[in-house]
Amino acid sequence: MIDLLQATVNSPGTTSASYLPIGLQVLFVVGLVGFLLIITHFLGPKRQTAEKLETFAGGIASHGDARQPMAINYFLVAILFVLFDVEIIFFYPYAINFRALGWDGFWAVMMFVSFFLCGFIYIIKKGALIWED
Amino acid sequence: MNALIISAVFGVIMMFTGIFVKQKPVTRNIAIAGVALLLLVNILEMSGIDFFKVHTAGFMLFDRFALLFNSVAFGSTLIYFILSAPDMEKVGHYYADYFALIFFILCGVVLVASFQSLLILFLGIEIISIPLYILTGSNKRNLISNEASLKYFLMGAFSTGIMLMGITLLYGATGTFDTQFMNIETEGTSALVIAGMLLLFFSMAFKVSAVPFHFWTPDVYDGCPTVFTSFMATVVKSAAFVGFIRLFYDAFGSIHDDWKLVAAIITALTLLVGNITAVFQQSVKRMLAYSSISQAGFMLLGLLALNATSKEGIILYATAYSLATIGIFAILLKMNDHSFESFNGFARQQPLLAGVNVIFLLSLAGIPLTAGFLAKFYMLKATLESGDFLWLVILAVIMAAVSVYYYFRLIQAMYFKEGDGNAIEVSPGFKLMLVIVAACLIVLGVFPNLLLNWLYF
Amino acid sequence: MVPVLLILIPLLAGIASFFTGSEKTARFWALLASLFTLLVSILGLTILKDPSYLAFETSWLGSLGSSFSVKLDGMGQILCLLTAISYPIILLATWHTPHKKANNFFGLMLLTQAGLMGVFLAMDALLFYFFWELALIPVYFLCSQWGGERRIAVTFKFFIYTFIGSLLMLVGIIYLYTQTPGNSFAIADFYNINLPTSEQSNIFWLLFIAFAIKMPVFPFHTWQPDTYEQTNYATTMVLSGIMVKMGVFGIIRWLLPVLPAASYAWGDTVSTMAIIGMIYASLIAIRQNDLKRLVAYSSIAHIGLMCVAIFAETESGMQGVMIQMFNHGINIIALWIVVEIIERQFGTRKISELGGLAKKMPVLSILLMIVALANIALPLTNSFIGEFLMFNGIFGSTITKYNVVFMVCAGITIILAAIYTLNMIRRVFYGETNEITANAVDIRENEKWILIAVVALIFIIGVYPQAILNISSETVNEILKEADITPYLIGK
Repeated sequence: MIDLLQATVNSPGTTSASYLPIGLQVLFVVGLVGFLLIITHFLGPKRQTAEKLETFAGGIASHGDARQPMAINYFLVAILFVLFDVEIIFFYPYAINFRALGWDGFWAVMMFVSFFLCGFIYIIKKGALIWED
Repeated sequence: MNALIISAVFGVIMMFTGIFVKQKPVTRNIAIAGVALLLLVNILEMSGIDFFKVHTAGFMLFDRFALLFNSVAFGSTLIYFILSAPDMEKVGHYYADYFALIFFILCGVVLVASFQSLLILFLGIEIISIPLYILTGSNKRNLISNEASLKYFLMGAFSTGIMLMGITLLYGATGTFDTQFMNIETEGTSALVIAGMLLLFFSMAFKVSAVPFHFWTPDVYDGCPTVFTSFMATVVKSAAFVGFIRLFYDAFGSIHDDWKLVAAIITALTLLVGNITAVFQQSVKRMLAYSSISQAGFMLLGLLALNATSKEGIILYATAYSLATIGIFAILLKMNDHSFESFNGFARQQPLLAGVNVIFLLSLAGIPLTAGFLAKFYMLKATLESGDFLWLVILAVIMAAVSVYYYFRLIQAMYFKEGDGNAIEVSPGFKLMLVIVAACLIVLGVFPNLLLNWLYF
Repeated sequence: MVPVLLILIPLLAGIASFFTGSEKTARFWALLASLFTLLVSILGLTILKDPSYLAFETSWLGSLGSSFSVKLDGMGQILCLLTAISYPIILLATWHTPHKKANNFFGLMLLTQAGLMGVFLAMDALLFYFFWELALIPVYFLCSQWGGERRIAVTFKFFIYTFIGSLLMLVGIIYLYTQTPGNSFAIADFYNINLPTSEQSNIFWLLFIAFAIKMPVFPFHTWQPDTYEQTNYATTMVLSGIMVKMGVFGIIRWLLPVLPAASYAWGDTVSTMAIIGMIYASLIAIRQNDLKRLVAYSSIAHIGLMCVAIFAETESGMQGVMIQMFNHGINIIALWIVVEIIERQFGTRKISELGGLAKKMPVLSILLMIVALANIALPLTNSFIGEFLMFNGIFGSTITKYNVVFMVCAGITIILAAIYTLNMIRRVFYGETNEITANAVDIRENEKWILIAVVALIFIIGVYPQAILNISSETVNEILKEADITPYLIGK
């Protein structure tokens, strides 16, 4: 558990020269992006019309303003979804190491699940998932 | 470890209390019992009784310093709950949730007070900050409260970013998050380390509202519902200080000479700006916000000195400052408005409350026989022991004299000015509790070893 | 045991006084406590003279190297006696002065007494600082709550002044403390510190400013006339009679022996400041129309002389300071009593509005005359002894080159003192009566007997000063030995 995040730089030859490949890669990445942006600017044909400034949405003519207030419930559901989604990701490493972690791992995950259930019960009881007022 | 787990569990318990318990007094009593339990298990841990055997080596270190500070924080919170919890009802509907958030903050306080890895420090700071953003904005109908919350959130997020950057640089330079094993060389320190250290310094300075990173403090303290300002300005602030000292003591003690001038300048600025600006305030609440900055200046002296005395001093300072400020806020909460004038004639109307309020103010001003004096004394002593900062010490005491100006304005209003005063109703229990707090301040002012011996035995 | 009682009696009585009911009870209670304190103080001088009774030490802040250590040495005896004797005098003299919330008033008065006693008794620097502040806080409340119109602002000025001073002193004390071997606040360890002169100079000013503000020495005196003017009489008496002695005492006990080299180096500067203050204050006193302010400025002049005499560092001068501290306390309290009688009866203390009181108030004028003569140090009065010894000491000083200059300048202030004191008497007590003073009646019994007692003290000490000089001679010699600068001079 300790060693999870305790990476130590052991190799004695770590000098600024060892960062050279990283530096080269950074140069390459920045150079390539810059190059591509500039080159498309010169290569492509340009026709400036008013239609081009409009929002493109699958070919359907757009109307109205997108910045309208909408029900807070959407945000709430979205954020709750993200929360539980992230929590579920933690099952994945457990599933892979299921056998190796044994009963200790099992109880740890049970604890995790129970906390997670607490949260679930809490939001239901608080009425966060009730759509109608 | 006891306190960490139980505070997290109690946070969850309080969440559910809000669903299943509708009576507010019951909710309140559960919360008070929870903090009392936290205090109890923490003291048990100091006596060697640990309920949870969790392997935390390299991440957290529950040494005497951390445990003692936890006790102080829980003790202050207990007093805060007893005195001010009924006033939380006025803020909004989510009574139990406020308690839950405060328990989560306490969880963060434990992390910050006992971290050994920079990651835990980061986690702790975040766990403290996020519930605070919510509490600051908890008065949803009040625009100023919303503004304070947004401001606090933006500035807090900004400083957290800086902190993270600092941690990254340090990790790059030393290859470890463990503050005790960074082994930073005194000679020829790499630029990465210095840059990382400065970034950490600035972000922590932001959290303790040291000048020039203080601009958020008055607005946030002022906009935040008063009852939460009380908690924010005391327990949370001292926790940030303890984290600050711990970080620099463990990780950067070896390059103390490199950063102590920066620290000295920031300390001097904090003392100057905090005190001078406080003089001009017309509202007691805002005065207390600036006073918290100026008191932070004194606590920064402990960081600057960085020796055994300063560790003792910071514990004593945190206690003295928290108790006195919580007391004053508890009285302020009973007033209808927060101007100095509203205290006119207070002594005639509420002699006992005025009397204990005087003790709190004297303690904040650092008058002998109160804990505040010894706290300041320890800080000055620590600074002088570390040498060559006589000018700063003299500046500090002159600023302490300036602080008398605004603290005593309140005493003048209460005792020497005539006024009808707004009639306030307080329960005998409230009075008793305040008297106990005042008594604590005086006892600690005469026998500080009652507290400090816990550091060693 | 005696020193502990001297602190505890007023302290506990003061706290108890807050819970007494009527004004009369509070008054009696305070008088009883102060008489009891006086009794203990006299017992300490006579029956319980054995050193084992006069010292007390117990551990207090062990980890900081501070202990609760109190001791009555010669200087302590004199000043504690002054404090103990002044309180009954003050209480009896103001017996008929009404005070709102009298229980608080007398409680605070007694707490002040406890603080003062502690200052004079402490043998530990931190303890000294504690009592130094403990004496200040109750005075702040006393001055702010009972007094003239501008009292709040004026007292605040006074408080901030003295608080800055005492905080600077705190820095000095902590600095010295870090220099002691094994970190201790005990006075003996402070006496053993040997710092280089340059370092001593810094610390000297940190400590001196605190004492100078309290005394007050020019240019730190600006709080004093205002405060005396605005404060109620009982508190003014405590302030001017006893509290200013804290500064003088502080220099003698905590400055001179601890920082001898700096005291030598800066002695002339300080003396010059004091001399300037003396002449300046005397000149202002001559032009003064307000009785209270006149006495206030006169006090600055007298204290200035003590300051010069201390830094002359001679046995005669130091003995003079010892006895003069006591005398000045007694005399100035007597002056305040007279001023209070006048203000109470006529509702004014403007010299120009009064006149011809001698005809209407013969007893008062005789008694005042004696006190006034003592104020200008005529032979047979107590001040003569003190001032003579001080002048002798200044003249015979070997450590300053300017002893003759100092003496001449200080001598001028004696003449000036005679001018303003006698002029005041002439204008207030002689001349024609006017419509304000036409119906004057002579003083009350209690005031008469108190003034007679004070006058008796003035004569007793004037004729037999040896009684007090014997008490202090040992302390004076010890302090001069500690303050000896020869080791530093040899070093050069």
